Amino acid sequence: MILVPDVVSPIVVGLYAPAIIVGILVGLIGLFGISVEKNDLHVLILTDIVGIGMLIFVAAVGTDLAESLILPGLVVELAEILAISEILMSREMRKSGKTVELIPTPLHFNLEILQTAPVFLAIILIAYGAFLSGFTGGAIAGAGILFYVMSIKVRGVPSGVWEGLAGVSGMAWCLWLVGFLVLFVFPQYWLLGLMLAAFGVFIKVAFKAGLIGVMNREEFKKE
Amino acid sequence: MFDVYVWFYTGCILVIVGSIATVIGPGVKDPVVRTINTEIPAVGISMIFLTYNHTIALVTFIAATAIVTLILLRAVVRLEEMGAEL
Repeated sequence: MILVPDVVSPIVVGLYAPAIIVGILVGLIGLFGISVEKNDLHVLILTDIVGIGMLIFVAAVGTDLAESLILPGLVVELAEILAISEILMSREMRKSGKTVELIPTPLHFNLEILQTAPVFLAIILIAYGAFLSGFTGGAIAGAGILFYVMSIKVRGVPSGVWEGLAGVSGMAWCLWLVGFLVLFVFPQYWLLGLMLAAFGVFIKVAFKAGLIGVMNREEFKKE
Repeated sequence: MFDVYVWFYTGCILVIVGSIATVIGPGVKDPVVRTINTEIPAVGISMIFLTYNHTIALVTFIAATAIVTLILLRAVVRLEEMGAEL
């Protein structure tokens, strides 16, 4: 017997079985590809396909719960692919002994605008992200920080800044947890709990950019 | 009227065909081709999200796919410059 609440529309209930079948099929195709493939980079690309199968599974629920589960799934997948590709590259670098630029580009980005614009654009993105707060705001502010770092790379980023970012990120995580505790333990202060959780997750997601910096610490030119 | 089923089943077909193309499609020995092929199931799942009205999930997914493609292409280019076997 399947229990379905009345609020779920009959169309979503009708589409559940085909969606799950498609999800299983896509997952199996992706896993087959991974089992056949030998090269690590190709396996990394194929995990994307398995991730898509997972997303169909979650989306088939068709309620707000599905939406709130897809968002962290996407961010975790992003961080995972970033970390594994970094590991692959640093392993290869150790094996061959060659060093390559952090961001290989066919063009030399020696433009005037990269010297003057980053601060302005980063401030706009971070301010707008802070206004939005929560998950989406965190992503926008993170893009601002990342853009600033990428364009300022030429001049060199102090390595201490990255450790500071990682520390603030950890504290924001605690803020988020405290917000949730307040919601459950003192329900009368719900507004305080909501704000703590919203801005905690905002800072946390924004400083995910610090992850890239901490991993590439030795490759950035130090001041 | 807006026919939900057309969007849903087009999305399903695109996801399945795209994932087969990524696994055994022509020219997938080249990692760049394989990375670009993953965009087809990405379009398919965007249509499935549209069917279920998952707006925020759709927007975040589009941004995440763009960043994932950038990360993968950067990895491919850097590994090739190091002279790794791909």
